[in-house]
Amino acid sequence: MSGDEECTSGELLTQALAGERAAFGMLVRRHQRSVYSLALRMVADTHAAEDLAQEVFLQLYRNLASVSSEEHLAFWLRRVTMHRAIDRLRREPRHESAAPEEAARAASEAHEADPILERRLRSLVRELAPAARAVVLLRYQEDLDPAEIARTLKMPVNTVKSHLKRSLALLRERLGESAEAPT
Amino acid sequence: MSGDSESNDLERRLRAALKPVNPREGFSRGVMARIAAEPARAARLPRAPAVASWLAFGLAASVVLGVIVAHEWQAGRTAQGLEARRQLIEALKVTDEKLDLAYRVVNTQERATPPQHSGA
Repeated sequence: MSGDEECTSGELLTQALAGERAAFGMLVRRHQRSVYSLALRMVADTHAAEDLAQEVFLQLYRNLASVSSEEHLAFWLRRVTMHRAIDRLRREPRHESAAPEEAARAASEAHEADPILERRLRSLVRELAPAARAVVLLRYQEDLDPAEIARTLKMPVNTVKSHLKRSLALLRERLGESAEAPT
Repeated sequence: MSGDSESNDLERRLRAALKPVNPREGFSRGVMARIAAEPARAARLPRAPAVASWLAFGLAASVVLGVIVAHEWQAGRTAQGLEARRQLIEALKVTDEKLDLAYRVVNTQERATPPQHSGA
């Protein structure tokens, strides 16, 4: 049953709580894309991101009993990933690679409308301060609204809105600068 | 182009640029391997609080038992002391009565016996 792709995350959660590791493995595969992408875009290093994402799932395994539903699971994973990433950025000096996710994206770039522009945008997002970057990622990668972002990051909604407004203005300005810069 | 449409365009581009990416192949296997590497810890986790609570319960029970035993022992000692005191008082009273009786007997005999003068 735990290997069944049609199981909801809620059912998998129940099975994992009953001690079925295969069900937990399925939960990992369901959520790894979101957790890993958030980690990668926060810490900007593929190895650190993978390590961080694995730690998040280990923490989930140890605290599975505290997760009450499918929605709570997604919320829990985003919140723990972001807090761990922000903690890591505070603790360790940034050692990001030039374009950490480009290798991962290379295969899909053919489908991108403007790969150069999108690469430039990702690079500009990496330059944002950690809190602002977290807000932008939750908004545009995870598609959360400001209230959900506020709950995830334990931040007032107005702060979230202000981060979004300032980040968009900054990104627009820098994107304009880079477009005007001589090649 | 108006400010709104410019903003919408940037937001659309951000969404496209920030599409989630997959981790490397074998990521979930790595997670499961890390979980498997700590079975002892995981198995200990639920038991640890139980052991701790039993230890705490045992310790508390020992302390309560100790206090009760000490209290009983102290009460026994006090009762023994009171009994000894009562017996001592009783013995002194009896002795006092005997001495008093003896004193009275001697006094009575002395008065009853006239002094003997030598017939000189």
